[in-house]
Amino acid sequence: MNPTTLRFGIWMLATPLLIATIGLGFQGLAAVNSAMFFTWGYFVEVLIAGLLQGVLYSLVALGFVLIFKASGVFNFAQGSMVLFAALTLVGFIEMGLHWTLAFVVTAGVMVLLAMVIEKVVLRPLVNQPHIILFMATIGIFYFLDGFGQTLWGSDVKLLDIGIPKDPRFILEGIFEGGILVNSFDLVAALVGAALVAVLALFFQYTRVGRALRAVADDHQAALSVGIPLKTIWVIVWSVAGIVALVAGIMWGSKAGVQFSLALIAFKALPVLILGGFTSIPGAIVGGLIIGAGEQVAEVFVGPLVGGAIQDWFAYMLALVFLLFRPQGLFGERIIERI
Amino acid sequence: MSYGEKHIGETLLKVDNITLAFGGVKALSDISFEIRKHEILAIIGPNGAGKTSMLNVINGFYHPQQGRIEFRGVERRAMRPHLAARQGIARTFQNVALFKGMSTLDNIMTGRTLKMKSNIFQQAIYWGANQREEIAHREVVEKIIDFLEIEAIRKTPVGRLPYGLQKRVELARALAMEPDLLLLDEPMAGMNVEEKEDMCRFVLDVNDEFGTTIALIEHDMGVVMDISDRVVVLDYGRKLADGTPAVVRANQDVIDAYLGVSH
Repeated sequence: MNPTTLRFGIWMLATPLLIATIGLGFQGLAAVNSAMFFTWGYFVEVLIAGLLQGVLYSLVALGFVLIFKASGVFNFAQGSMVLFAALTLVGFIEMGLHWTLAFVVTAGVMVLLAMVIEKVVLRPLVNQPHIILFMATIGIFYFLDGFGQTLWGSDVKLLDIGIPKDPRFILEGIFEGGILVNSFDLVAALVGAALVAVLALFFQYTRVGRALRAVADDHQAALSVGIPLKTIWVIVWSVAGIVALVAGIMWGSKAGVQFSLALIAFKALPVLILGGFTSIPGAIVGGLIIGAGEQVAEVFVGPLVGGAIQDWFAYMLALVFLLFRPQGLFGERIIERI
Repeated sequence: MSYGEKHIGETLLKVDNITLAFGGVKALSDISFEIRKHEILAIIGPNGAGKTSMLNVINGFYHPQQGRIEFRGVERRAMRPHLAARQGIARTFQNVALFKGMSTLDNIMTGRTLKMKSNIFQQAIYWGANQREEIAHREVVEKIIDFLEIEAIRKTPVGRLPYGLQKRVELARALAMEPDLLLLDEPMAGMNVEEKEDMCRFVLDVNDEFGTTIALIEHDMGVVMDISDRVVVLDYGRKLADGTPAVVRANQDVIDAYLGVSH
């Protein structure tokens, strides 16, 4: 058996045990501390809510990973791409387009954006140190942020594409009263999972996927076998743009389309540090851990320390990872300082 | 396979009065030579003579300030590396430039990039045209793997391979492009005697079996004299000599450049 499969197997076994241990710990704490409330049903409910929230983090992190893989650049503008995509989509829907049509048009806009970024920003900066490109993406962040709001206005907008939002109860046979799950989160999780599966297969088994990995490894060698760098960059930024669009739809439907969407990118940072900047599965697992971790910590540990753990838990976890495993769970090499 | 007399044909690539400068430093001044079909041409010279710069000019990494390059009788304009690849020029690098995270097989498959035709939408679907194409190209790649005797490391990430094998994988990737002109930048640098012998054999076999024209940079004079049909000598960006190994070896300028000369 190859080591990757083996490691995967071990984690598949260890994770439920780890979660159960944490649950037991909370149960023990609750027994001696009256400020804490614990039942197993409630624990699982919080855990699931956290995991589903985590998928949304993963969606944003995925956009970062794609660009980092292909160009070694941390794309600061990913968050504003999410905002821009969501604003554009809402704009087209308000113009009277059906959301499916608006989706296709917006995807087209994101591809166009990728082409412009390649031509105006990346091409003149080819062969420059990564830090220069990183600074350029900060520029893209501010540009997109302002440009999107100039085009579509800065009001908070509602985005409703008909994803069911009613809560439902599952597993009523096992836990007393069942477990409350938001069906919107469920849909979001399914979409995220599908997107990840498609991307992973695409990267692994096609010529373009191979070319992307090749460019990520060595620009010069990639050029010498006839891989056109420009085309690859356009493809990567387009895919990242479309991933941003999907993330924008999910976050926009949940919280409204507004400026703060651009800031969820910062929640993706700890996800990346956990999962590793270069790994698609890492983005997923990292998102799940962060989502579940902060939710569980908020609900069960929060009352003991006065609450508001959710805001800093992710960064705290990332800090611990930076100390002990700076390349992340699935990362290939040490992360560059940014 | 025929080990007969080999037929060196007409000019495949001709460089004419090439001058390349980086700021005030002249890396190449006024270099002219030709590479003929089916020959093995060695480019030699002391360190800093401009050998690698010459290869970089030929495959489009550098753009000379002056001079012309003709490939297959057609003058080239500003060349880009991926266009050179499209025209049938493949190369390896002095410091192995492989895709370290990818397996040997995937590395060599990237060499097939230009031969593949399915578009990005077909690839997104994967099944159908794209899959048939992958299988067809995989067959070609497997032949190259057999040819270079690297069957055992097919699935190994190249980052883990010893240096000698990495050089061989790099050659395999270049061969996968089925090039007309193969540029090898110090293919035997840092190898032990056995590995060098293997590499020599592969270079000769490639030249013989596929009829590939080869231009190589090498420091090991024994190797150069043994395998090359013609030798071009560079020193400080100028061309010192050009001719068969025997002629070049007897050239007084060349001897001076390598052994030094008393003033």
